[in-house]
Amino acid sequence: MDSLHAIGFYVSAAISVAGGLSVAFLPDRVRRGMALGAVAIGVAGIYLSLSAGFAALVALACYAGCALLLAGPAYRIVESVTGSPWRQLGAIAAAALFVALAYAAYFGDFHRATYFGGEFGSAAIGRRLFAHDALATEAVAALVLVALVGAAAAWRARDRNR
Amino acid sequence: MTAGLVAVLFVAAGLVAVGAFVAAWRRDLTVALAGIPLMFAGAGTAFAGVSRFAAAPAGGAQLLGQEVAVLLSVAALAAVALGVGLAGREGRR
Repeated sequence: MDSLHAIGFYVSAAISVAGGLSVAFLPDRVRRGMALGAVAIGVAGIYLSLSAGFAALVALACYAGCALLLAGPAYRIVESVTGSPWRQLGAIAAAALFVALAYAAYFGDFHRATYFGGEFGSAAIGRRLFAHDALATEAVAALVLVALVGAAAAWRARDRNR
Repeated sequence: MTAGLVAVLFVAAGLVAVGAFVAAWRRDLTVALAGIPLMFAGAGTAFAGVSRFAAAPAGGAQLLGQEVAVLLSVAALAAVALGVGLAGREGRR
């Protein structure tokens, strides 16, 4: 990986991690949505610096869609019944998860991996998605369909109960 | 200056851990949903990184990891849409 790609990678990584931490701590939904949008830009930058241009475009669209959903007028508050000690325990478990994953990354003999840069690659990805792994693509399409139908049914039931 | 596979996996681990932290820390379950795309982004970063740093038998780059990253992005959007829809039914403004 050359210096330009490496700088882009580190800047994008910083943006995405900072955006993720902002989602955890910002108080109002519009700012949280903007933070999640920053995560979308950062993740797209990471994919782009890894020469995965098509994945970057899809990630930017999908994670920006997540940000719009969570910052938009459809947002409702659902209070959790979980107490503070369990939340703190969850935070500690998240930190332990990071330590375990970082340990596995550092001591997993990945230092000798070679970078294979490439072009945008949308044609090759399209061939894999729609020919070689069409079943996986259709499974995700079915998941999206079920999720959207479920969301629409939930909204209709809510409007009917008003 | 360079970034190797270890740096990519570190960033992926950070994104997954931040997503888990968001899901555990926020009292509002709709905000906790934002942890899902973060964790999926971390997993997608690891997949895309490994695909870029792993050589295919022919000597080029693997594409399977990029493909999984694309599918993870779409699945994250679907999960958040379903969660926001269910929260709209049960939640309050």
